[in-house]
Amino acid sequence: MTTASEPREPAIASKASAHARDADAWDAPGASFVAQVWAVARKDLLLEARSRERLVSMGTFAVLVAIVFAFAVDPAVRARSIGGAMVWVTVLFAGTLGMGRSWALEREAEALTGVLLAPIDPGALFLGKWMANMAVMLAVEALIFPVFALFFNLGFQGSIPALAAVVVLATAGFIALGTLFGAIAAHTRLGDTLIPILLLPLLAPVVIFASAATQRLLVGRPAGDVLSQLKMLGAFDLVFLFLCTALFGAVMEE
Amino acid sequence: MSAAAAPAPALAARGVEKWYGPLPAVRGVDFTLAPGEFVTVFGPNGAGKTTLLRILCGAVKPTRGTVTIDGEEIGESDGARRRIGLLSHQTFLYPGLTAAENLDFYARLYGLPRRKERVEEALLSVGLQDRRGDRARTFSRGMQQRLALARTLLHAPSVVLLDEPYTGLDPHASAMLRAVLDRLKDGRRTVVLVTHNLSQGLEQADRVVVQVAGRWVSDEPRGAVDTAAFERVYTERVAAAA
Repeated sequence: MTTASEPREPAIASKASAHARDADAWDAPGASFVAQVWAVARKDLLLEARSRERLVSMGTFAVLVAIVFAFAVDPAVRARSIGGAMVWVTVLFAGTLGMGRSWALEREAEALTGVLLAPIDPGALFLGKWMANMAVMLAVEALIFPVFALFFNLGFQGSIPALAAVVVLATAGFIALGTLFGAIAAHTRLGDTLIPILLLPLLAPVVIFASAATQRLLVGRPAGDVLSQLKMLGAFDLVFLFLCTALFGAVMEE
Repeated sequence: MSAAAAPAPALAARGVEKWYGPLPAVRGVDFTLAPGEFVTVFGPNGAGKTTLLRILCGAVKPTRGTVTIDGEEIGESDGARRRIGLLSHQTFLYPGLTAAENLDFYARLYGLPRRKERVEEALLSVGLQDRRGDRARTFSRGMQQRLALARTLLHAPSVVLLDEPYTGLDPHASAMLRAVLDRLKDGRRTVVLVTHNLSQGLEQADRVVVQVAGRWVSDEPRGAVDTAAFERVYTERVAAAA
């Protein structure tokens, strides 16, 4: 009878089958870029689904910020006139909180070294992390928007698809920069404290366009009125995603 | 008729050096290993053995020199990285993933065919088949080391680098590791084993190297090494080179 920790005679004991296994692995064409992206994203999402560390910490932080705003904002100020800015400042800070944790997963047991020893394209690693971070951030935003609507009585009057487009486009650029700077911060002694210092100045245009578009939609302006902001956010996304993917290999070197 | 070109060595290092600022970690290491060769590198703490292994697998860039796997420079080629496996002090595992999920993740990165079957075989080979669904976080140090060994060998690397693989293993697990290392001696796989343990290190070695202060101060075939006298010889060499 074998116990849980007792090694049984493995398949590689037979030389013929061992050679077949080797040939199988050596002749394989390797994982495609898309398969590598999915492997990394899947792994991160699996880890987050298990621990819910980031969802809980970022979600709790966002609710607390909403409560602080609810007490701090003068009732004489119409919340509708500053709602867009409040929501995006909260998204930004909550997101920044989660970026460091995303790379902390890779530092435990030096797993990142194991990943980098594999024949993985650095761009695939970056996009996989970006994809998983996007999913987590969008889940947190799905909480932030209703919480602010509830606390500030922001009866949404604009186009829901347009608001969704603003959220997705602004988040994509934010997470692209956050994922890159999270990786840089993970390699420094300053660690997570470095992320907001690097991230916030570069994110100013994204926050400005996202706040302005959200504000317009909050007061019931039609989707066509935020088209220019959507185009700008899309342009930033393309630039950020391209640059971050291209620079990621250099960041990962040693 | 022209003579057939000699096959490229399985692993070769040419003038490899690594400096951290003014401090040398590896100095002037030159060697070639043929397919199937098993080399054990001994050395005291701080001799640069781990740094050398990390250079050989491409995890650390040398300050000077090159490393090639089957003639392809490491770092320049995905092919070279596919052929190398490193077992380090750290396990390179995700503690929040189960044993099977960890191996499946690496199998996906390497694009291995028959992924599920390979993962099961790998778990079986290190005796963790009944713990496949348990998170790596819940494993003892020895079990984590066995899972790390399964990860190292999952993609059937032709060059296997082992950094103190016996650390944290109980006698039963050490025997299992020895059996795995014996199976690696199939004439096709090149193994570099770094260890402090003289008796374990000599067991499978074809070549015995002593590294002190970053340099290889001796490199001898196993047959030339007197097992009984090795501890004294090793101590003398370390003292002379330090």
